[in-house]
Amino acid sequence: MKRAHMKRGWAILTMITALVGYLGCYRTAQRSDTVTVYVSEDEVFSEPILKDFERETGIKVQAVYDTEEAKSTGVMNRLIAEQDNPQADVYWANEPIRAEVLKQKGISAPYVSPNAADIPAAFKDPEGYWTGFSARARVLIVNNKVNPKPHSILAYTDPRWRGRAVIANPLFGTTTVEIAALFTIWGEDRAMAFMAEMKKNGVAISPSNGESADFVASGQFDFSLVDSDDVVSRLRRGEPVEMIYPDQGENEIGCLIVPNAVVLIKGAPHPDAARRLIDTLLSKATERKLAFADCAQIPLHPGVETPPDVMRLDKMHVMSVNYADVARKMMEIQPYLKRWAGL
Amino acid sequence: MKMVTFREVSKYYSGRAAVRDFSLEVEEGERLVILGPSGCGKSTLLRLVAGFIPPDSGSIAIQGDIVAADGQIMKSPEKRGVGMVFQDLALWPHLTVKGNLAFGLKARGIPKKEREQRIGEIVRLVQLEEYIRAKPAELSGGQQQRVALARALVLQPRVLLMDEPLSSLDLELSVRLRGEVLRLQRRLGFTLLYVTHDREEAFDIGTRVVMMKGDGRIERIGSVEQVRAYFQARATASHLIRQNLNDRSA
Amino acid sequence: MAKRLVLTSVAILLAVAGLLPILAMLVKSVMVDDHFSLAFYQELLASGREVTLMRHSMALSTLTTLFATVIGLPLGILLAKTDLPLRQLFILLFTIPLLVPPYITAVSWFNLLGRDGLLARYLDPSLAKTTSAWLFGLPGCTLVLSSTFLPIVMLLTIASLKTVNPRLEEAGQLVAGWFSVLRGITIPLILPGVLLAAMLVFLLTFGEFGVPAFLGYDVFPVESFTQFSAFYNFSAATAAAIPLAVVAFLVLAAERFFMREKTDQLRPAPDGEQRSFIGLGPLRRWVLALVSLLCLIIVVVPVLALLLQSATTSAYVEALNRAGHSLLRSVVYALVGATLLTSVGFLSGYLIQTRTLPFWRSVDALTIFLFALPSTVTGIGLISLWNRPWTNFIYTTPAIIILGYLAKYTALTSRITVSTLAQIPSSMEEAAQVVGAGWVRRMGVIVAPLARHGLVAGWLVGYIFCLRDMGITMMVYPPGHETLPVRIFTLMANGSPQLIAALCVIMIVATLLPLSMLWMVFRTAMRGGAR
Repeated sequence: MKRAHMKRGWAILTMITALVGYLGCYRTAQRSDTVTVYVSEDEVFSEPILKDFERETGIKVQAVYDTEEAKSTGVMNRLIAEQDNPQADVYWANEPIRAEVLKQKGISAPYVSPNAADIPAAFKDPEGYWTGFSARARVLIVNNKVNPKPHSILAYTDPRWRGRAVIANPLFGTTTVEIAALFTIWGEDRAMAFMAEMKKNGVAISPSNGESADFVASGQFDFSLVDSDDVVSRLRRGEPVEMIYPDQGENEIGCLIVPNAVVLIKGAPHPDAARRLIDTLLSKATERKLAFADCAQIPLHPGVETPPDVMRLDKMHVMSVNYADVARKMMEIQPYLKRWAGL
Repeated sequence: MKMVTFREVSKYYSGRAAVRDFSLEVEEGERLVILGPSGCGKSTLLRLVAGFIPPDSGSIAIQGDIVAADGQIMKSPEKRGVGMVFQDLALWPHLTVKGNLAFGLKARGIPKKEREQRIGEIVRLVQLEEYIRAKPAELSGGQQQRVALARALVLQPRVLLMDEPLSSLDLELSVRLRGEVLRLQRRLGFTLLYVTHDREEAFDIGTRVVMMKGDGRIERIGSVEQVRAYFQARATASHLIRQNLNDRSA
Repeated sequence: MAKRLVLTSVAILLAVAGLLPILAMLVKSVMVDDHFSLAFYQELLASGREVTLMRHSMALSTLTTLFATVIGLPLGILLAKTDLPLRQLFILLFTIPLLVPPYITAVSWFNLLGRDGLLARYLDPSLAKTTSAWLFGLPGCTLVLSSTFLPIVMLLTIASLKTVNPRLEEAGQLVAGWFSVLRGITIPLILPGVLLAAMLVFLLTFGEFGVPAFLGYDVFPVESFTQFSAFYNFSAATAAAIPLAVVAFLVLAAERFFMREKTDQLRPAPDGEQRSFIGLGPLRRWVLALVSLLCLIIVVVPVLALLLQSATTSAYVEALNRAGHSLLRSVVYALVGATLLTSVGFLSGYLIQTRTLPFWRSVDALTIFLFALPSTVTGIGLISLWNRPWTNFIYTTPAIIILGYLAKYTALTSRITVSTLAQIPSSMEEAAQVVGAGWVRRMGVIVAPLARHGLVAGWLVGYIFCLRDMGITMMVYPPGHETLPVRIFTLMANGSPQLIAALCVIMIVATLLPLSMLWMVFRTAMRGGAR
């Protein structure tokens, strides 16, 4: 008898707790002074920025963060799945191709922020569907024990490093962007030849840039093409690696810059708060914070203060690409990449 | 009054007939024993009356109301007001003796005072007063039987079904418990449907006996005297035949 | 009748939570540009690569299931039936790998056995070369996943052993030694539970993607995952997930085939009776050493790696700062999820065991199918179904996460209920019927208390799975309501290894602490019932 009472007691207690919790959550979601942002930029770097925004404006930020591409399907899929009834106001992409994809799928809305004026035209959508800021560079991470060191992405096809190089899965993230970029500047034939050579040279494929960096740091491989923030974070942790900006020579292609991109979602539930957040993200203050943070991202606004170990845009030989073209090319070559990666 | 009426009842299990064209009228207050070898559908008959399974054809009526017919159950077991003692007793191990007895009374919404009274009565009747707070696992085989009996009878059913309840007991205990059942039946006046494979038990307990065949049909129905006489005659006949053969071969 | 109404509602709930979203995805997968086409499926079958992936998946799943069962079964028996010292501690320890995201376990092993790992640094670099080559492939994946899913077999074995009637074993003991009794009597009796565990391990391994990706061994879920993450092509991704469901059906059919001659005990364990214990005698020390060694390899080493890496207070402070709220949320959602899963699973298990409704087989198959389907497919299906203006009151709250748990994990509690109910003679409920109790009263006062061991086991299993869930939660959690596993993965991107390790340790403690407390409460309650 007592047990039956105890069970009933637990059941009632559970139900009350659930109801209270649930009502609380529902009310929070309905508040007007909130903004919902889906973030592909690494949480460790983006969260402080968003917390600062919250503190300065009093607008509560509800964020959904992304995982590295290979760990789980992320935020992009959510945005696409939710498009008929958008829950997000803003999307903080960590590369502009995703922003282009959203534009092509009709999920984003144009917004030209006053803070976007100074940003070079190459790094924003002409119609305002996305705006770039705080960029990473695609660099080579090289283990200190390696001698001589590679200085170009062509090292992937150099027999000297046969079987000693790793690259992140070419179907995801910034690696895809880079390969698509190569296709646009080299043309299909040369790009495919490069890819074939790389494969013949025994390149290994890792799930993501993070793993590539760790493999190189642990000595499993000699070098890899990764994002600059992956290298800086390992450097600041004291790992035995070096960052090399590839192809900086006069006649070389230069190194690819991958800016963050901020997007206003079409049909955003809180459009005013969304615009304020976008303005803040595109501000010089944000770029300065991201430059000094461990992600060491390169500001796109001229005249933003940076720490010494962050290369400045005007000091770099930048690969000149049109991101819209790259996005289109990426869609085209994906079946090819799938075959190349053996999937 | 006809307490239970079977009309052309059949029940099949994977093509095999457990009960076939079974017709019978059970009078109020009688003690009907269903006798037969294992697997001949005796338990099936009880389960049909209890309402756990529907007859494939034919109908069953209790106190004049048709409760099941042609594959349909009209009245579910909870509503039939029939008492049952199961072959494995099915005493609820997590409830005390009192709990086992009170469960059905509570289900019928009988108020506490009356419940206590009825439980007290039945427990005295089966002589289990000291064990009222015990759990079934703590009782002996015979005591458990009496609890099962009490649990069925505390609800004052018009019909009591018993499915080979004494088969696992030794002879002495079995005889004693048989006596208890008889005593209770005479005292409380319920109609008894009793299933067994033991002939002595059948003759001891019943007023009428139904003999079942392996194919689910009735072999013979009659009063205890009639059936006993039948067996006597059969035994004498086979004895004579054997003797005849022996003489011949000698 | 209340019975049919409630059971039908349960079936409908499962359909709404799980089936409808999947159907929506299925429909999409056979439409190309708005007309019917099997193009995605054809593409799938045409590629020879898919066959290789499938082969890899089969190999990995079979090996993992084999190891997990061959080790988990004897381990469960040792920890439940013998006088091995420190049994409770071992049960707790061996459960830990299930709570750590398998990916982290893989990374721990990499830190240990990689070319420049601890082994290379402190022992022998050339040995490390071999271990690293061995780690990055089928052997490594098997090691990680076997140790992760071994607890499932162990726990279900222990739960099943509770239902074995000691009389049956005693009867055997009179004529044979313990080994023969185990082999001839005990194990056949607990076989349904063990087979269920094996089936679950197989399906979980089959759907696992993160570990094989890290260790460079390509498996079938890669295809569906790639379609999602690289191509954003939901239709192709669903088509690529269907073979996983087909495999699940085959596994289910195999299980049904093996179980068709069930060994039902004539008299299952009476309440509160002491189980018969095996005295290990002189073997005790050797067995203890063996089990400790196993524990060392499978549990202590990876956990120690985590502890060492997170060894600074600052890591833990940062961890609690960043993830304190998600920790609390995880526990609350897991509590609610487990309770709901137990209730729904109890009813659906009852439906399946008693075959009350004609479509009982479909309900069973549906739960297994949902369990095996990649979480992303289910997640996106849930979004498609529930993300509408008029269902906002569900979608924008954690209720959607709970719904996701229900869709994915009901198979666990349902099947555990089925095997528990199989041990209860039907006469128990019939006796209650005959004395006039309606269905609700029968279930609450008779059936549920008799099934309480299974209900508790189901609750604990449900709690563990809800807590560690990443796939479904990741897809549907309302912004700001993320759980700890999700947080671990979002912070993993360039988060310091110390932080991640600290988060994992916190997760382990957060799971085990309430779990052990609850287990002790339950055990006293159960024992307090019997004398």
